[in-house]
This record gives sequence, C-alpha cells and structure tokens, in this order.
Amino acid sequence: MMAGEMRKSALMAVDEINESDEFDFVFAPHLRDPGGVVAGYHAACADLIREEQVDHIVGCYTSASRKQVIPIVERTDRLLWHPARYEGFESSDNVIYVGAAPNQHVVPLVRHMLDHISGDVFCIGSNYIWTWEMNRVIREIVTSAGGRILAERLLELGETAVDHIVKEVIDRRPPAVLNTLVGESSYAFMRALHAAAMRAGLSIPMLSCSLCEPELKLIGSAASVGCVTSSAYFESIEGAENSAFVARWKARHGGDSDPCVDGLSTYVCVMLLARAIRRAGSAEVGAVRRAAANHRYDSPQGPIWVDPDNNHCFLTPRLARSVPGCRFKIFWEADAPERPDPYLSNLDLTAIGTGAQKSNDVMTKRLNHLRVVK
Amino acid sequence: MTRSSPFSVRGRRALMVMRDEREIAIVRRQLNRLGMTISEHDPSQPPPEEIVDVAVIDADAIPIKSDLACAWRSGAPIIALIGTETPSRLKWLLDLQPASFLIKPLRSAGLYTALVVAFDSAQRRIDEAAYVERLEDRIRSRRVVFAAVLQIMRGHGLAEADAFTLIRQTAMRHRTTIEQLSADIIAVGGMPNRTTRTA
Repeated sequence: MMAGEMRKSALMAVDEINESDEFDFVFAPHLRDPGGVVAGYHAACADLIREEQVDHIVGCYTSASRKQVIPIVERTDRLLWHPARYEGFESSDNVIYVGAAPNQHVVPLVRHMLDHISGDVFCIGSNYIWTWEMNRVIREIVTSAGGRILAERLLELGETAVDHIVKEVIDRRPPAVLNTLVGESSYAFMRALHAAAMRAGLSIPMLSCSLCEPELKLIGSAASVGCVTSSAYFESIEGAENSAFVARWKARHGGDSDPCVDGLSTYVCVMLLARAIRRAGSAEVGAVRRAAANHRYDSPQGPIWVDPDNNHCFLTPRLARSVPGCRFKIFWEADAPERPDPYLSNLDLTAIGTGAQKSNDVMTKRLNHLRVVK
Repeated sequence: MTRSSPFSVRGRRALMVMRDEREIAIVRRQLNRLGMTISEHDPSQPPPEEIVDVAVIDADAIPIKSDLACAWRSGAPIIALIGTETPSRLKWLLDLQPASFLIKPLRSAGLYTALVVAFDSAQRRIDEAAYVERLEDRIRSRRVVFAAVLQIMRGHGLAEADAFTLIRQTAMRHRTTIEQLSADIIAVGGMPNRTTRTA
C-alpha cells in the first residue's frame, strides 16, 4: 500500500515541477519496483545508475531496503532521497533523510504518554528493527521517568493471528498500549482489540508513531478511532500550503483518496531536490547537496530544510488523535521545526517525565492502580 | 560507582591521532554529530598527558619499528583505523590491544559501533581487573585464614572443618569477611570478643 502511495506522490511532484514556470528544467522519472523484495533493491539501483545514468534516487520505505541501496549510492556518489521516518543511527553523506528522525517521532509520543496518560505501558510491535529500536528508546525514557514496561510482545511481519495478545491486553488492562506493528498485523490487532475492549466494556488508550489516514480506512471507521499518533504530517494540518496540496491531491487522485505522511514526504523529497537543483544550477550530486543545505521549503507539512550536519531534515513534530471519519485531529505541534537528532545524542532523559510536576502526574495515576492490602 | 552506558557517547572526549585530512574530516563530522568533544594529536609524537575517553588511532600513521605502540596501550581504549592488513602491521596492532577497529576507507557508518564496542570493552577490562584484584587479595590472605583455623582448632579443640565453620559463621554475624576476622583472630590470639555488631 505504502509503495503505491509514495509512487503516486512522487509522480505528482514531478508533474507539478514539469508544468511549473518556476523551474527551467524537467524531470524524467525512471521507475523501478523491487516490490519489497529486499535483495531486489541493490539490483534496481545499480540498473538506474549504470543504465539510466540517474544521479538522484527517491524511495525506499523500509530500513532493510535502504541498507541495500546505501553501499551503491556511496560507491558511485549518487544521492538517495529517503522519505520514510525511521529508527535513526545512520548519517550517510549520500542520503538525504526527509522522514522524521527518532527525536521527531517517538520522543514526543512517549513524552505525551508520560505526561498525560500513564508511566506504565504495554508494548506490541512487529519483530524487526523498527520495533526493536523503538522499544529500546521507549524503555529508556519510560524507566528513567520511573514508569514500567509491562510487556513487550512481538509478532512476525505480516502475522494476523493476534488473539493471544488481545486476550492478554484485555486480561491485564494496561493503562496504555504502544503499537509499533506495521501493515496487516497492525490493522488486525486494532480491529480485534477494539472488538474485545467493547465486549469487556474497557477503553484502553493506544499510541502509534506510524499510523496514517489511508490505514484508518483499512482498519475500519470504528476500530481506528482514538489512537494517539505522532507524525510530521496529517491531512488535517491547517494552512494555505496544505489546503492547496490536499485540493490538488483530490483533484488528481479522487475525492475519496487521502494523502498520507509517507506519500507527502516523497512529494517533499522531489520538491527539495528540484529546489536544490535550481539553486545549484546543476544536478551534480555535490552541488545539489550543498544547495539543499539549510534551504527552506514551505511545504504542506510546514517549513522544512536539510540540516547539513547530518543530512536529516528540520521538521515539525505533531501529535493527533484519530477521530470518526478516518481522520486525525491534531492536538499538539512543536513551536518550530525541530533539529534532527538521528543518534538521539541530545536526548536529555532527566528532562522527560521526571520534573516535579510531571512525575507527580505519573505517580498520581500510578496510585489509581494501587490497592492497599491488609 | 556510577557506570555510564556504552551507548551514551555524548560529552565523552575523543582524541584523534590521525594524519589523512579526508579521514580526519569524516571522523570529526561523525564525532560532532554524536556530541563528543574532540582533540587532535600528531601521530609522530608520544601520547599526550591529556586524559580522554577514547583514542582513534590511524595504525598506518605510526611506524611499526617504534616504541610508541606500547606507550599508547596503557591509556584510554583505542579504536584502530586499519588500511594495511599485512601480518607485520597486524602483529603491531595486537600489541596495541585496540578495543575496536575500523577498516579504511572510512565512511560515516561504523564509527558509532566502534565507539560503543570500545566503551563496553574498556568497562569490561576495568571490571575484570577489579575482580582479579579481589581474587588476588583472597589468595594472599589464605595463609592468614589457615593460621586462624589452626588457632581456633587448638583453642577450641575443634576439627578443621568445624573450626572453619565457626570462623565463617562468626564473620557473618559480625558482618565482616572471613579474611578480616582471621587477621583479628591472629592479632588477639583467639576469637575476638565482639559483642557489638557493625551494621
């Protein structure tokens, strides 16, 4: 699903650039679809670089596919424009990371959880690098704030047999569930948990840093409601840039179609690339990389620019709650675009959830779960 | 003792002992990203006095036939940058006892891993050295314990096993070690008459 959204968005950006008077060049897109088969990404990029003489590659959703592509773009000195949020701990000179870094997605989500929901959390995720690293970060922040990881449950990618975990959640009634499942596993879990919670008369807050609008539709309007989600983009962002983008999106893809963060980020990749080429006066990789640095683009997700220190982007983290109608209602956003910190080297654990006010919040809520036993 | 996690590298001090400007630029960039403080040192000079948390040393920049390798060994954990894989260079490298290494040409990926491995192995070396020291202390005091057991066997008319059990139980009651109590037994010529327990 995501690959299709990303391709649609990239081609929309290419068409807009090719039709615009603002750019005195046109993009000739070359499409390759390794279809999520990890081993196919290296070959596809080798073909794009050697046969099509491509300088800039936009794409890769999973970290596994990006890791396949990095050696060849480094060896041949090309640029990969990577749209997806990811777990961090990477900074290749030959990648422009346009998706959110961990300080821009998981950190604000966990901070919100500690301040407003609970210090204790039940974690469920897909058994691969995204969840492993997210769980590590979550555990570090939560335990340093005095909270507890109640459980860490993993499902194989694509697994939809979720009943045993749903039963455990219903039995244990955790004050919060942090969901890092991806794709069908996540949809199946959210549907099953919603149904089971309804039967049990429970309301268990869920949090995610990957849910997006098209997924809400796939999950279903009832089961998708109420998930606190962290993302750099929601369709419901207010502002002229985004309203115009959403209108263009619906005109192109139909009124029922909704843009999502990974698609929008792919659109932004192409736009950042076009602006950098225009500024550099050349598509040469070194010149484009220098031109992209600190060059602000007022995108549908707000102002965004490349931090030359680590090739990731300044962008605005946001938190929203999924509401009826398969939409997100944004309830928090950072005051200004946040500097990317891919190695979380500036994560100050003492400042999260342990301030007097905050820890009182967590502890007050903790007391609700305690019983005096005589 | 507070132990810092090997994964948290911010604020730690790195010494770059390198010659190649391009490689220096790559390492400096990555160390900056990680929030470490950096100082540089000429590879042809002996190690500086300055105390650092890790030294990134270009192995190829130091002549094999020099006394410098062992001079580096006693300081901070070393990350060796390796270009030449000849056995003569690797033998020199083994003498340097690097905590981790990177193969040239350098890229941004890899340095964080090398740092984490270096910090972890440095901590393990400290822990192991402390453990060995504790064991050596115990070996040294074996003679004292044996003398105390003999003293108690004679004084209380006990068999060896019973004398040792008495010493062990008394040490536990007094919240002290067998070795310390044994030293006390020898000093006073019998089981010391301690009624107060130290908490």
